[in-house]
Amino acid sequence: MAKVAFNDEAMREVETLFSRYPKKINALLPLLHLAQRENEGWLPPGWDTYLAKLCGTTVNHVRGVVTFYNMFRTVKPGRHHIMVCNCLPCGVTGGGALLEHLEHKLGIHPGNTTEDGLFSLEEAQCLAACDQAPVMMVNEDLRKKVTFDEVDAWIKQTRSSGE
Amino acid sequence: MAQEKLLLLKNIRTKGYAADLAAYRAAGGYKALEKVLGKSQGGMTPAQVTEAVKASGLRGRGGAGFPCGLKWTFMPADPKDKPNYLICNGDESEPGTFKDHYLLMNDPHLFLEGMILGCYALSCHHGYIYIRGESMYLIHRVRKAIDELYAEKLLGSNILGSGFDLDLTVHPGAGAYICGEETALLDSLEGKRGQPRFKPPFPAQAGFNGCPTTVNNVETLANVPFIINNGPEAFAKLGTEGNSGTQLVSISGHVQKPGVYEVEMGHNLKSLIEDFGGGVRGGLKLKAIIPGGASSPIMRPESIDIPYDFDSVMKAGSMRGSGALMVFDEDTSIIELANRTIRFFNHESCGQCTPCREGTFWLKNLIRDFVDNAGSEELMQRVDRVAGSILGNTICAFGDAAGAPMQAFGRVFPEEFRKHFLR
Repeated sequence: MAKVAFNDEAMREVETLFSRYPKKINALLPLLHLAQRENEGWLPPGWDTYLAKLCGTTVNHVRGVVTFYNMFRTVKPGRHHIMVCNCLPCGVTGGGALLEHLEHKLGIHPGNTTEDGLFSLEEAQCLAACDQAPVMMVNEDLRKKVTFDEVDAWIKQTRSSGE
Repeated sequence: MAQEKLLLLKNIRTKGYAADLAAYRAAGGYKALEKVLGKSQGGMTPAQVTEAVKASGLRGRGGAGFPCGLKWTFMPADPKDKPNYLICNGDESEPGTFKDHYLLMNDPHLFLEGMILGCYALSCHHGYIYIRGESMYLIHRVRKAIDELYAEKLLGSNILGSGFDLDLTVHPGAGAYICGEETALLDSLEGKRGQPRFKPPFPAQAGFNGCPTTVNNVETLANVPFIINNGPEAFAKLGTEGNSGTQLVSISGHVQKPGVYEVEMGHNLKSLIEDFGGGVRGGLKLKAIIPGGASSPIMRPESIDIPYDFDSVMKAGSMRGSGALMVFDEDTSIIELANRTIRFFNHESCGQCTPCREGTFWLKNLIRDFVDNAGSEELMQRVDRVAGSILGNTICAFGDAAGAPMQAFGRVFPEEFRKHFLR
């Protein structure tokens, strides 16, 4: 099992984060983001305890925070985590169709990961790009006015390269 | 043809604008900061800055429309044992709203100048900018702009030789709509679950870590440099009575040209859709609009020939909210809109208050019945009753934001609900 601790480089980021807030606990959200970045987009077992010690709080508090926010994951996502906006304006201008198309194409429902671990799918609530509908976010990359052809080509290429 | 009134988007609409510090300065940026902090023009005291904002009549652009200057006067003028904080709310998660993202992405320094002026007015020495976690690209963008300011000594200690010290930090959210509510945002900033707090005490008395705090929207703060540069009268002259200045309107849905447009407060709502949005796309007819984000009640086309500002839209039975104008064509199913709206609110309810947590859940199930063509007159009344039982019975405004639009769908489009009755 991988070591549950930040490496030296990440630790320097932790120190910078702590210096920006009056209390260590205030930095919990950015710390969780950092922990996910260091762990392929999720929080493997043990990290809640580690972060609780780091900020001087209880494990329960950290778990409470992790389960409250959508973006913190205790299950490993795919290498490409796809969020499709299916909210009000996006949903009726192609977002709904895009989500359905991806479900077919990937063979998974939102909330799941493909068997090869390449893709995971999530239905998003407004990505604040309603004028660019339909939109989807792949990891940190916002893709606008997405077409089916574009998505198909990307999935095919990703599958064949395996990464 | 109606024209934009450019006050916030002036730089963005200039071709080839690079949006970095040098470009912003070349376009006359940070002059207001010079005027307030610099010695050459005598400077302004924090109280004078607050007074100017108050006199301008600037109202909060986040949705509630509370007078910004008045909000600032609630803060202790001379913080002694506890520091004052100014927090910028850049959470922007209301469906249909994208103007703050647009502004921050394309001209971050305009907002940052307003943020620095706001911090000075409130004697705040560490300001936080809360941006939703999904928008990492935006967080990087604003952080880069802040780094530029530190490098040029426009942030840090003794800014422009005035003796005023200020640090700014961008704080990432993590995907919770409720964190746009100011007290939930404060909890989130403190490293907790983002659950709204009971008020009073208001944030100005006990906010971030129990210290006096003001929370302002991105667009609100971006207006401050103009007010300082041109005087509060120049700002108050724009717009309508009690709704001064310009506004950023996010137009989305079935229009030809969705996007962010800047017009004076009180610009005709119909003209916004036709002259700026380019009218309904595909030559179809207009069926409905939602004038201020998912939490504002839906309107029929015949009732939209009104000025678009806080008070006028309120009078017409809806809300201007955050300026998110969503347009729907004749092929749109109102039940589908109701379904998407309630699924959103049910998903985003923080779960703290029973009427909201349970109410949004049962409303979702009730609307589902209509989606499945199993509605009835009785179920329609039940939607109204359940939505009504949330209103006013929750800690924060989320309950009203979820209940009011759900009542409106049935009230404004009853015939659409009847189409989905069980036969």
